[in-house]
Formats: sequence, structure tokens, C-alpha cells
Amino acid sequence: MILVNDRDQLEWHEGMTVQDILDEMNYTYSMIVVGLNEQIIHEVDYHTTLVEDNSKVTVFHLAHGG
Amino acid sequence: MKRISKEDIVNISKRQNDEFNKYKNMLMVCTGTGCVSTGGISIRDKFNEVLKNKGLDSENIAIGTGCNGFCAVGPIVVVQPEGVFYQRVSLDDVEEIVESHVKNGKIVERLLHKNPVSGAINEKIDNIGFFTKQQLIALRNKGLIDPENIDHYIARDGYKALKKVLEENNPEKVVNDIIASGIRGRGGGGFPAGVKWESGRKAAIKRNEEIFVVCNADEGDPGAYMDRSIIETDPHAVIEGMLIGAYAVGSREGYIYIRKEYPLALDRLNVAIKQAREYGLLGENILGTDFSFDIHVHRGAGAFVCGESSALMQSMSGKAGEPRAKYVRSVEYGFRDKPTVLNNVETWANIPAIIDKGAEWFASIGTGDVSKNPWGGSSGTKVFSLVGDITNTGLVEVPMGITLREIIFEVGGGIPNGKKFKAIQTGGPSGGCIPESLLDMKVDFDSLSEAGSMMGSGGMIVMDENTCMVDIARYFTNFLVEESCGKCTPCREGLYAMKQTLDRICNGEGKEGDIEFLEEMSETIIDTSLCQLGGSAPNPVLSTIRYFRHEYEQHIKEKKCVGGICKSLIQYKINEEKCIGCTACARPCPVNAITGSVKKLHIIDQDICIKCGICREACKFDAVEVF
Amino acid sequence: MALLNKSKRIDISVNGVKISAIENSNLIDSIKEAGIDLPTLCYHKDLTPNGSCRLCMVEVEERGKKKLVTACNYPVRAELNVNTETEKVKRHRKNLAEMYLGRWPNVPVIQEIAEKCGAVDKEKYKSDLTDENPKACILCTHCVRACDEFIQEKILGFAGRGYKRNVNMPFQKVDPHCVGCSSCAFVCPTGAISIDDNLNHPVNPEMIRDHGMKVNAEMATLDPYQCRMREVGTANIVEVMDAYDLLPVMNYKYGQHKDTPKMDSKVMKAKYFTQGHPDQCWHGCSMACAKAVEHFELKTGPYKGDKVIVDGPEYETAAGGSNMGCFDLDFIVEYNFYCDTYGLDTISYATCMAFVMECYENGIITKEDTGGLHLPFGATNDALEVLHQMARGEGFGLEFGQGIKYLKEKWAKKCPEKAQFIRDIGMEAKGLEYSEYVSKESLAQQAGYTLAIKGPQHDEAWLIFMDMVNNQIPTFEDKAEALYYFPLFRTWFGLYGLCKIVWNDVAPKDNSMKYPPQQAAKIPDHVYNYWKFVEGMTGRELNEQKMLDESARVHNLQKIMSIMLGKGERKDDIPPYRAMGPVTVEEYESRVLRYDKQLKDNGIDIEGKTSEEKVQLMKDFRYEQYRKVTDAAFTRRGWTLEGVPKIERLKELGIDLPELVEIVKDKQ
Repeated sequence: MILVNDRDQLEWHEGMTVQDILDEMNYTYSMIVVGLNEQIIHEVDYHTTLVEDNSKVTVFHLAHGG
Repeated sequence: MKRISKEDIVNISKRQNDEFNKYKNMLMVCTGTGCVSTGGISIRDKFNEVLKNKGLDSENIAIGTGCNGFCAVGPIVVVQPEGVFYQRVSLDDVEEIVESHVKNGKIVERLLHKNPVSGAINEKIDNIGFFTKQQLIALRNKGLIDPENIDHYIARDGYKALKKVLEENNPEKVVNDIIASGIRGRGGGGFPAGVKWESGRKAAIKRNEEIFVVCNADEGDPGAYMDRSIIETDPHAVIEGMLIGAYAVGSREGYIYIRKEYPLALDRLNVAIKQAREYGLLGENILGTDFSFDIHVHRGAGAFVCGESSALMQSMSGKAGEPRAKYVRSVEYGFRDKPTVLNNVETWANIPAIIDKGAEWFASIGTGDVSKNPWGGSSGTKVFSLVGDITNTGLVEVPMGITLREIIFEVGGGIPNGKKFKAIQTGGPSGGCIPESLLDMKVDFDSLSEAGSMMGSGGMIVMDENTCMVDIARYFTNFLVEESCGKCTPCREGLYAMKQTLDRICNGEGKEGDIEFLEEMSETIIDTSLCQLGGSAPNPVLSTIRYFRHEYEQHIKEKKCVGGICKSLIQYKINEEKCIGCTACARPCPVNAITGSVKKLHIIDQDICIKCGICREACKFDAVEVF
Repeated sequence: MALLNKSKRIDISVNGVKISAIENSNLIDSIKEAGIDLPTLCYHKDLTPNGSCRLCMVEVEERGKKKLVTACNYPVRAELNVNTETEKVKRHRKNLAEMYLGRWPNVPVIQEIAEKCGAVDKEKYKSDLTDENPKACILCTHCVRACDEFIQEKILGFAGRGYKRNVNMPFQKVDPHCVGCSSCAFVCPTGAISIDDNLNHPVNPEMIRDHGMKVNAEMATLDPYQCRMREVGTANIVEVMDAYDLLPVMNYKYGQHKDTPKMDSKVMKAKYFTQGHPDQCWHGCSMACAKAVEHFELKTGPYKGDKVIVDGPEYETAAGGSNMGCFDLDFIVEYNFYCDTYGLDTISYATCMAFVMECYENGIITKEDTGGLHLPFGATNDALEVLHQMARGEGFGLEFGQGIKYLKEKWAKKCPEKAQFIRDIGMEAKGLEYSEYVSKESLAQQAGYTLAIKGPQHDEAWLIFMDMVNNQIPTFEDKAEALYYFPLFRTWFGLYGLCKIVWNDVAPKDNSMKYPPQQAAKIPDHVYNYWKFVEGMTGRELNEQKMLDESARVHNLQKIMSIMLGKGERKDDIPPYRAMGPVTVEEYESRVLRYDKQLKDNGIDIEGKTSEEKVQLMKDFRYEQYRKVTDAAFTRRGWTLEGVPKIERLKELGIDLPELVEIVKDKQ
């Protein structure tokens, strides 16, 4: 089980990447900061960074709009 | 004129050929730019007038054709189907030719061509030395059709290749055929056209983008007029070539970028495009298929650098012609950042013939072996403009692999006025000079590069003994200094420094170390310039240093110019033994530097003499000498 | 332009050091990462490289072939072995440096380059082009590119070819489009361009310029990958809101719709927007986010048949369309135009029309009330007719123009059996129509909207993402803190007349690396920029507390004024239920899993309950939550639980003026 933003739970699967998490949460916004177990992940590495089971992921959307 | 179908092409060809066949005599009057300037159009019109007046016009006609290539002897009239070649025809000769040759079958001997080497008189065009070694592919229709009549083009297998390609309905096959033919870019890059097409086609599919085809008719090399001639002579060859190319790569829109200084070529091109559109050969649903394509003509504004493909595309977008880095290729991101296939006029003109007669046929002509890959040789023919100190000045199309010696002495008729050959400059201002020792070299892309020159667009400038090789290098360097776009430092600053150095050397201010400085600078300019203008600009200097280093050394150390050109280093003197005091030299002297009375030795005042050379030309006794 | 997260990494080696490069990045980035400092003149980190100075040339070996390339613009596409110090490269660097030295011997940056490249001979390339001025223009093209990329004016360019090349404006005249943004002077390495300023005597113009330039550079280099403000303006938010279930659809019933792609920024860009020109707010803005639709033929109204320029559509106007159940951009652009022409707010119009449409669909009003106009969701021509009637002051339009607060009271009296429903769905507070975000699932946003002094304008607080998505403010105290900070912060821009877009519609590249997420969300470097703008203008130094206090003085004054006018009471701060949760069974069931879970998680038993019953349970629960967050927010702001500023707070802020104390003293 993956915990996103301290609240949402996602099923983990083998080979799950950071990008998979963004896709499942439908996080299409451009200005985000992704942390995987306290480590900031660079945009270019979303597709290749593997997520282990029981990881904590934060996806902060920068305050925008209005 | 209405839209035509595939069957119509066959019918029009037949109809037009029948018409040709009904004539007893077709007087093909050359109306390329050179002959037009000496009256070609008036001559053609007068022929038709005279024929009409004499009631001969049902069986005889005068047709204005494009350039025959033998520009040294224009205006030219060739009487077909016999092939009788008349040269230096004037308006006053028209009556005689009609009366004598057309009416009474008697050739006008005084207008025939005389071989400058052997002295033999050749009646027929096919026997004339200038033409015998030529093999015509790009210029296959020269002298045989009216470029402003599309039916003439169709009569000589025009648009047959397009029809074939559309019927076969296999664009990838077309690309493969062009690769197999081995044809390499005739504009100077020598890049295999088929490989370029394949890259463009793939890029358009991968990016899901439209793709453009462009014809580079900017032809900036001084003295080169191959492209101009092709357009003036056979514009449909270019249009058909672009149609086939567009079909092969999936393009709907093409551009012809033509330099501003070609008004006649532009006119002929516009007429041809209009006629092609009327027949539906350009526009929507060509020949009843779902292939649609049209061409826009864009005029240049007078910059040599716009012949460079990325600068050309900038210019077409309305910006200043500045090249950009080649790391992202224009086949992928070219005009408007879309995939773009750019080829030279001559390359396009070859395409219909290749499709019509087959890739293997084309590949069998030329040097090397292109069967495994097109870089393996130089296939097909090349059109060269042969100019300078040569008897038969003009345009020639010869198979790759012909030697320089054959071009100069057999086709070109050798050096006039009994002078000796010194060097030949090939490839335009970025090319190099080739000395006598290499005259047996086979002309092709790779051999020319190895010799320190290049094929370029096909300019060949022949130089006799009265040439200063340092001055030649200076001339071309100057040209490039003025034409450099100025964006990158090595070209802008480096060429200027080269120009300054060469100026000094020619003015007698050369110093020790100058040659080494030129060589060192050249290496940096070649390696670090952004585009090939800079990248090949040092070639004239480097090749002349390579083969004529002694001339540079003489200029610097001895302050001497053996070619007799560099004004600061020469003096014109009258040889006492040869002078008969005829005053022929003194009279035309523009500065009155020559004194002497009749039958007495004439003397040139060195302080006044401007070394223009008029006195030397005027003297019939070779008494004026240059030291 | 490829988005970074679609690229991959390629391993390259630079002078033997292994670097993990990003595909299609410029080679110079990797070389810098390897710690090597190549000599450069035309390279500038914030401008598109153009490879003209040739100093950064290096040798690369790619696919077995060696070649010399300029590092600044060579794209990394395959594995490379890079060597920056071969003999050849060093030789060419020296020669090039000598060329520069020969032409501009006294320019300091040229002298530095020459020293770096081992060039000393000034005479070698000396010519009649040599310029001895230490501030000579060295044709580095920085200014030309900055004028194009930072400010998008493209005024500076090159005149003359080859050695005659020189930087100039068109026709060698000072161009009237030059706004004096000073980007060119900022990027000029030699001082060849200088600024003649001080027209209104700012205390420290360099400070303003420095920070302004940072913003310009970010706009040019980062915006295309971030919010694309230059490209499509605020319209970029349409598809984002839809993806996050926040786009108002049919009077805020739903947060997304299958037809949104018909009106998203891609369609607007492809078919409607024609301007992309820096004009709008002020001519020198490097963001230039406003867009326009030109040659738009109007289909209704007094200008029917005319082709006009329409300023917009902005996000709010487009979302107003979806709120009215209409995804047709032609309608949206037309109502945009006429609202502008008549001097009406598109948001008020759209939200009011959405309310009318839901009432119409529920039979609360009929054609009798609308004067024959047919107004279900998705109505276009009839909806526009209402607009025209408003302008003419007649018919249904005249009533409509009174707004939701008037209409819902009138119709509640007309249909007493549906009165509660009508009040629940009439999306207004304090007489102002709600703006276009679905606040249903964000308690913080509900409070942000409804506690705002002027009414539900998201200008004061836009907390949806922080709350709903990031879950950054989970407790009441967290929410209260946000409800204290953001309204003050966001109002502060308005007080100074500054555009807030430059605060958070673009973020510095290293923002997320430099600050922990909670802080990164505030984009601290940009907030700092604003303090510096103010300091540069006035000489007054700011920090966070000073900034908040400046704003709080005005905020509290506004609150007191509204109390004075009899408006600022707690009951005015309560939202219509549509802003807070599912009003209808239909709405509840569209998100049933989420709603059921929320009730269960909060200890509310839903076993065996019908949907109608669950709707009521949810309503009660949410109003209770709202009460709690309001209490917490007011407390944090230094106000009483009735929302009256406490006198200690006024004293703290130094605004305990007698006139103000007089108004609040009896309400403590």
C-alpha cells in the first residue's frame, strides 16, 4: 500500500514508478514537487524511479491560479 | 487548357510529336539569357515573319528554345531534324538562311562552326567537339523544346515518370529507387538525395507533421549559371522532379527559392507553373489520384549566404539569411520548424529521367560503385559552367569520371591565343585551384575533395599563364568577406584578416610568416565556422598555397608577381627590339603614359602608368611586356 | 517542446567524468555539472543559445565518430565521450581569442577570455575594424535575444552583413515600441548599452532591475514548461481543473465533464487566439498573459454580423460556460464580448445564469417568468438574449440583473415548498456571485470564499490545492493559519497595484529543491522579489511580518467598515450549501464512495440509511465543520467569534483609532 499526501491510499504493484502514481491520482498539473520517502525526485526521473511497497509519497501542487 | 488525365499525357505526346514530324525544318533559335542579350528573341521572331512572307510557314517554323550551352558562339540556331548548327547568327543572316537552307536545301557555310584545335568545319551539332563528349540528362531537352510550351515537354517523355509513379502507388519504392540511383546533391553538398528523402519522409511520419520540398535556385557562385540555364531551358523538368519528390516524401507544398538576379528564369518558371496548374499537374487531385501538391516561388534579395540551406529557410520565413547550427537537421526541423527536403535545381531536374529510365541505368553512369551505398561513387552526369581563359565558353553536361584534361581540351577547345594552361578553379568561391599536374584526375565528388577543391555547384574557371594565383585567392576571399553573414566570429573576423593579409602581399607589403599565418588561420576558420560558407572559405587560399606556394613566396620575398597581375609588383615595359613605333599602344592609353613618335621606340612612364594592360592588347607585335 | 518528464537520461563522459545527462539537453549543462568552466561569450544561461562566438567548441565522439561541436547548443542524443582540452581545441580557442582581442583589445570581458585561452598578441588580428573603446559592442547577440525572449518585442536586431554587422533598431531609429525595460542593458557584458533612467526617482533602480530581470528570465525559460501563461494565459487552467474535479459544471453540481476538451486551452490556441503580443496591463510586461480573439463574428445583439476583437476568454469566463452547461467556445467568446461591452462581470453573469438554469430545469420558474425564453442548462441564444435585455433594462433581463440574492428570495417566496432547495443552490454570499471553482470538497476553500469581506472572490484565498490535493492543512489550526496568512498576503499585491501572477504562476527552477514543501508552496524567492521591488521604489525594507501587518491594517479596516454598514455579521459568512456539499441525491450518488467514507470515518452511522437521509447527515456534519473552521480562523485573525476585530488586535496593528474603536467596542 502506498500513502499519498498522508491521506490517499493506492494499491502497490510490482514495477510501480513515480509516474504511475501521478497517472493513477490523475495529477496532470505542471507545477508540482514530488517527494518519495522524504527524497525530492527530479521530473526527468519520474518514469524511471521505482517505488517500493509501503512508501510515502508527497505530491505538492504549488499554490496557483485564481 | 483544361485538366488532363493520365491517358491525356500519352495523347498529347503523340499529338505534339506528330506536329513536330510534319515540319520539314524546325529552326531552333537559342533564347537562353546569353543569346537573348545578343538578339535571340528578335531572330526567332524574324524567322517566323520571313517564313510567313515567303509562304514557307506551313512546313517550317522557328522555335525559341532554352540555352544550348555553347555560349561562346551565340546567337545559335540549330536546324532540326537535320541537326545543322549555325553560330554567331545575326538578324541580317535570317533572310539568307531561309532562302538558302530552308527553301533550297543549301547550307550557309560561313555560319558553320570551325573546330579551334583541328580547324575542321562541322555541320552537325553531334559532330562538334564541344558537344560530342557530353551526355545529357538534366539538360536532356536543351535546344529541342520551347520552354514556354508544356506540350513540347510532354512530347519528349515529359510527365511520363510522374504518371508511372502515381500508377505504381508506392512512395517508398520511389525513395528506394532514388537511393539506388546513387544521385548525390548537385548543389555542392554531394549528399545522397535518396537518403535525404528517406530521412524526411520518416521524420514527417514520426512527428506527424507536414513536410515541405524546396528547390534551391539561389545559385550564388560567381560565374555559375547551370541552374539558371536549366530553369530557362526546361522548367518542367524541375517541376516534375519536385512532384515526384513530393509524392515520395508525402509533401503537399513546395517552394522554389530563386535568386533575385534571374528575371528570365523567373518568367519561364512562372509560365511553366501556370501551365502545369492549368493541366491539373499542380494543385488538387493530380491526374485523378488523391495526391495534391502545389509550388510557391520565392525570390531572394541578393545574398550569397542564402544559398546555404538553413539560411535559405530563414530567408523564406522573412528573416535575415543567417545559417543556424546543423546539429538539428533541416530534414527534421527545417522550414517553419517542419521536416523539409531541400535539393538543388539540377538534382530535381534529374529525377524524372531516373524514374523513367531506371535507377540502374543512372547508377551505371559515372564513377565508383553505388550499388551498396550511394556514397560509394559519383553516379550520373554533372552540368559544369566552363568559363575563364577557355575557347569554348559555355555550359556542358558530362558523365562523372571524365578527366579535367578532356573537359578543358576536348570539350573546351583548349586555351585561346596560344597561351598555356595554368590552373582550373572548381566549385565556386569555396573551391580550390587544381594545377596542370592533376589534369588527368577523374572529375567526381571525392577526387575533387581529395585534391583540395570540391565539386561545388559545378563552376569551372580556367586560368592561363597570365594569372596570379595569389590574386585569385584574394579575389575569392574578398567575395566571401562581402557575402559572409557575420554571425560567427571565425568567418567574420578571420576572413577579414585573411583579406587584409592577401591585400598586403599583393601590394608588395607581404612579410615573413604571412603564409604560415594564413595556414594557421585557415585551419581555425574551417574547423570552427558555423556553416560551410566559412567552413570552405579558406579553400582558395589553401589550395593555391598547396600548389603554388612559390608564387606566394615570390610575392613576399622578391616582391615579384609572375602572373603579371598585381599592380604594385609589375611594370609594363616596351621591348626595344620588337617595337616598330606604330603608335598603336600610345593612342588608347587612358592616362597618356606612353611617349614616342612614329617609327621610334615608345616608352612607358612608370610614374603615370596604371597597369591597365590596354597597350599590351593593342600591340600586334608582342612588344609590350610585363615584368 | 518536450516536457521533461517525457525525456530520459543518457550517460556521457566529460573528460573522463561520468555524467548522467538529460536527453536533448544542451551539452554545456553537462560540462558545467562536471565542474568545467568553458570560455564563452554568446552563451547566457537564460537565453536560447545560438552558437555564434564559437569559443565553447569541444570534441565529442559519438557513434564512433569524432567531431568538433559548440557545447552551448549541441543536443545530447546518444552516448558521448567529450574532451574539452584536446590540442586542436586549445589551438582553436587561442586563435579565436586572438581574433577577439585584435578587434576589441580593451574590453574587459574580452581580456578575460583572452587570458583564459592563452592569447596575448593584440597585434596579430589588428585591422581597420579594430575598436579601442573598452565599452565596445562585441556582437555577442545577448541584447537581441533578450529583447525577443524576455520582453517579446523583437526591436533590436542586426543591420549590415558580415564585418559591417552592428546592433540596431529598425531603420536605425529609436523604435516607439521600446518600453525601456532595460533587458538589453542588463544582459550586455560590456556596458555598450546603458540606461538613462530615474524618470520618477525610485530610491534604488538597480535593485528593481535586478529582481525584475530574474522574473523576465524565468518567464522566458520556464513558463513554456510550467503554466504556459505566455502561450494561452489563464486558459491553461481549464483542463487542469477538469482533471481535478474542480471545474464548475451545471451550477457547481459536478467538477468535470466529458465535453471539457471542446473548450480547453488547446482548442482555444488552435482555433481562437490570434494575439500573443505584449500589450494588455502594461506594455512592458514580459509575461503578457492576456489573449484575444480577433475577427470574431457576432451572432446576436446590437453588433450582430460585426467582426470584433474579444479580450479573452480567461479561465473564469470559460469555466462560466461549463457552469452554464455550455462547452461551445463560440458562445463563450460571444458572452465574453457582450459582458465587456455592457460593463458587466462575466463571473456574476455566468453564475447567476447557472442558478436560473437549474431553477428552470426544476420547474421553479417557467417560460412565464422568463418572458418566453427557454433556459435549461446549455441554452445559448436565449441566455444571450437575457444579457441583451439586461443592457436594455427590460424584460426578464431587468430582473436577472438584480442578481442571485434578489432572485432567490423572490422565488423562495413564490415556491415555499422548494425554498430551502432554492437557497441551497443560489451560489452567492454577501450579495456577490461565487467565482468559478468547486469548493465542495475543500473546507478551507469554502471558508476562503465565504469569509472574504467582499464576498466569495477567490482573490483573497485560493487554497483548494493545498487543502484538497496536497493535504497540507489537515487540522482546523492549519486551515486557520492559511486563512490568516493568504488573504493578507494576496490582498497585499492589490494594495500595491502589483500583479500576483508573477508570484505563483511561474516558479523558479530550484524552488522545490531549496525549500521544504510547505514553504515551497509559498514560493519564497518570488515573495522576496516583491519586497525588493517595494524597497527599490521606496527605500523601505520589508519582511514577512511587516508585509502581513501592512495588509492586516487594511483588512481590519475593511472588516470594521462592513460592520459599520450593518453587513459584517456571522450569518453573512455562511455559504449556500451547494458550495459545501451535495445538495441533491443525484450529487451525493455521483460521489457516493467518497461521501460514505467521510461519514463513516467521522463516526456517523450510515447503515441502512437512504440517500436522502445521508444527504441530510452530510449537510449537518459539514455545517458543523464549517462552524469550527470559522471559529478557528477568526481567533487566529484576532477577531471575536462573531468576526469583530478585537481592540487588542487594533492596538497591535497601531490602528486603534477612536473612530474605529467606537464601532467595535460594544461588540467585543
